[in-house]
Amino acid sequence: MRIVVVTSGKGGVGKTTTSAAFASGLALRGFKTAVVDFDVGLRNLDLIMGCERRVVYDFVNVLQGEAKLTQALIKDKHVDTLHILPASQTKDKEALTEEGVEKVMRELEAMGFDYVVCDSPAGIERGALMALLFADEAIVVTNPEVSSVRDSDRILGILQSKSRRAIEGREPVKEHLLVTRYSAKRVEEGEMLSYKDIQELLRVPLIGVIPESDAVLHASNQGVPAIHLKGTDVAEAYADVVARFLGEDKPLRFVSYEKPSLIKRLFGST
Amino acid sequence: MSEEVRFESGRFEGIVVRSPLVSPARLADVLHKRFAGTESYFGGEPAVLDFSEVRDWPEQVDWSGLVAFFRRLGLQPIGVRGVPESFDAALKRLHLANLDEAALRLEAARPTEPPPAAPTSAQAPASPQTGTARAASTKFIDRPVRAGQQIYAPEGDVVLMAGSNPGAEIIAAGSIHCWGPLRGRVLAGAGGNLEARIVATHFGPELVSIAGVYQTFENGLPASIANRPVQVKLQVIQGQSHLLIEPIETI
Repeated sequence: MRIVVVTSGKGGVGKTTTSAAFASGLALRGFKTAVVDFDVGLRNLDLIMGCERRVVYDFVNVLQGEAKLTQALIKDKHVDTLHILPASQTKDKEALTEEGVEKVMRELEAMGFDYVVCDSPAGIERGALMALLFADEAIVVTNPEVSSVRDSDRILGILQSKSRRAIEGREPVKEHLLVTRYSAKRVEEGEMLSYKDIQELLRVPLIGVIPESDAVLHASNQGVPAIHLKGTDVAEAYADVVARFLGEDKPLRFVSYEKPSLIKRLFGST
Repeated sequence: MSEEVRFESGRFEGIVVRSPLVSPARLADVLHKRFAGTESYFGGEPAVLDFSEVRDWPEQVDWSGLVAFFRRLGLQPIGVRGVPESFDAALKRLHLANLDEAALRLEAARPTEPPPAAPTSAQAPASPQTGTARAASTKFIDRPVRAGQQIYAPEGDVVLMAGSNPGAEIIAAGSIHCWGPLRGRVLAGAGGNLEARIVATHFGPELVSIAGVYQTFENGLPASIANRPVQVKLQVIQGQSHLLIEPIETI
């Protein structure tokens, strides 16, 4: 079993959107996948996965022994091989203990899961540390702006010192950089950092660029992970991310901007 | 395995703090600027607190407050020096040795002058501290040093094989060599080594310092050195020290 943390430091950059889409993408490939919400107190993974009405028990209930893991895991309505472990909205984040999280991870492994995707809360507090503690790989989500890049750098440093792999001196956590909310047009106009700038600053292998899109907002309002939005650039970009994660060679898409032709400008885009 | 316990005579290195102040509050005031709130500036080195320079001893001294203060800086106080006997009982309660006279033969002590932490002006000509640099092993850092990370080499040089990022801090008693982008705060010669240098292939730090003489780049770097091969060294002109920051001419 591989544990993948989706983290960023900064909030609002697309961690939960990415966790939902990425976990769904792995499950679509046939891997038995669990996606775990570590944002205790502010759960929203279940909303984006469209299963908020089916939450009976949550992660904290399991940690505190009030429910079995099998009772708390919710089967995804889109993909059979995907399960969601929602966070608690009412409990204190102190409920996340190292021993508790480790026990849940062991149990997931015993249940035959191939991948566990940990959706980290923003910040560098307890929840974020617990989410990355057992990670084998990390997807660091970054927006094309300086503050987001700086926070990602900070979280990469923490991965290198506070993860179990780092503490025990094992092979370091494998890092992937994911740039989200990317607008090729604004990069072209010099208003945004380009993905090349970001990669140069962070020096972590790029796993993908997700274009800025209204489709993401619609998807999350409807409780559908973005990867299921057939025919959208966002869904394709996330599918590419999953492919690259699994070792396939995919060229980058949606990173260049072409000025609309005169006819398009006159008659509007279709 | 043998269970024999052996007691051997040994020497170990530590830090001597010479302080004319014994009030934790006053010390915190004075040192605040220098460390700018950096917790655990030191790396857990044992320390002897030398109070020989204290003029007027108060009746009561907050020894536990003093110990706590230096612990916060990352030192482990093991004893004191230059303290009147009247405080012996108080020191004993805190398990601090009163190391007067013979117990402690201080070598030509090298001042461990920490670098300025919160500079306000751009160039600060200062009288550098003298010190003896010793041969020590070099610290190689193979991964980028990231925001919030600190590399501290109390002895010897640091070689950054993958550069450093904005918000990182590199402190070395010796020189700092950097392959790749050099960003963040870079302090060489932290023990007072005037010969220390900073050498980088892609120069662009927020602050550089050698032996306590520092410079910031609030308005950006001149084009002649920005992101280019650069070395920084200390130049003494008529007793005043300045940082010389110059591009490295490559063939």
